[in-house]
Amino acid sequence: MSKFKKDNGKKLPGVNTSSLPDIVFMLLFFFMVATTSKEVDPTVDVDQPTGTKTTDLTPYKQRSEIDFLYLGEPRNKARLNDFKMGYALSLDNVVQATSDELYTTNAVGQWKKDKFEEKKSRVKVPITGVITCVKADKGAPTGLIFDIRKELQNVDGLTIAYAVRDNGNI
Amino acid sequence: MAKRDIPEINAGSMADIAFLLLIFFLVTTTMDKDQAYIRNIPKKVEIKTEIIEVEQRNVLAIKANNQNQLMVRGEIIADPDKISEKIIEFYNTNRNVNDLTNDFPTYTHPTKNEIEANLKAAEKELESFEEQDAGDALIDYAYSKIDEWDKMKRSLKLFGGNDFPLINSQANIRIEVQTRTQYSLFAKIQTEIEEAIFELRDTEAKRIFGESYGVIKTRYISDEEPIDKGKLDLLDVLYPARIIEVTPKN
Repeated sequence: MSKFKKDNGKKLPGVNTSSLPDIVFMLLFFFMVATTSKEVDPTVDVDQPTGTKTTDLTPYKQRSEIDFLYLGEPRNKARLNDFKMGYALSLDNVVQATSDELYTTNAVGQWKKDKFEEKKSRVKVPITGVITCVKADKGAPTGLIFDIRKELQNVDGLTIAYAVRDNGNI
Repeated sequence: MAKRDIPEINAGSMADIAFLLLIFFLVTTTMDKDQAYIRNIPKKVEIKTEIIEVEQRNVLAIKANNQNQLMVRGEIIADPDKISEKIIEFYNTNRNVNDLTNDFPTYTHPTKNEIEANLKAAEKELESFEEQDAGDALIDYAYSKIDEWDKMKRSLKLFGGNDFPLINSQANIRIEVQTRTQYSLFAKIQTEIEEAIFELRDTEAKRIFGESYGVIKTRYISDEEPIDKGKLDLLDVLYPARIIEVTPKN
């Protein structure tokens, strides 16, 4: 007479995984709601400064009323001296060096105009209201930012946003 | 014909599909939001206008040089966190009583009648511009002036009482940087301005409406109710943020 049953060849029942899709879907929906789609990975290194009391750009982004430009050190450090003040501007992931070439600060005006033409049919605001967001590196010289500003003024893109990383405490 | 049972659909691969979608979203999205300070660039004007003298007391100049040193109203400042205190001082010193001996902007106390007179004058100006066919720039200017006085009229109504304190219309905050000033310092100056304005408006919002400025603002963004718009307009009239960014000379 034994208290324990002998293993009589029966197999362990498999773990019921029928609720696994539900769990994964829940996770999926969480990420779909809580995140925003990534802008293109910039071709320049940008380490943003921090700030508080900022404006959240998400509502504008959802209406795709926003153009991003990046100002940072070029990835290829050997080319540092090719750029004005050692900082490169990245417009739609294209970085170029000398001032007469496309996509330096001189080209910002044309770029902004092209961008606006492209979205004219969908966006309700005039070009003066379309935000241009400058994501600049901590060490970027403000002289370059004012160059960008001047180019934007020339094409009437009169709303600019200086991006920072919000350090949270509201 | 005998009725057949419909075989159950095998849902075993559902988890795989969901995982695939999940991983796709994990890779292509990002948690961090885009946060920024939104500023307006002044419109380019072709017409050369006379330079208007601005009294020194109405200017709060924040200067930063190539070595990232700061100067606020002629005083060298080592700690950039002090800028917001200076801005609050700039707005609040003469708010209750005008003291002409100090170096801060003066306040006026426009009454309802004065504002209405100004509104009428602005409307008349617009009419005369339209009669003369003075050009779009001037007509736009007249419209913006009417809007401004109209906003002031509505704000006074909301504020209650016979008049309200209004800072000198020339009072402005001026950011003067040099070409090699680092962006981090420029952003810091913007942060300090934003903090100071927020604090001033917040105190006033709590006093008048009994709720914080941040609450009104976020509620307006999500609901866009006209009452909140009026409240924000009033706070904007009481503490206007006139920020001028001076293009650095080479």
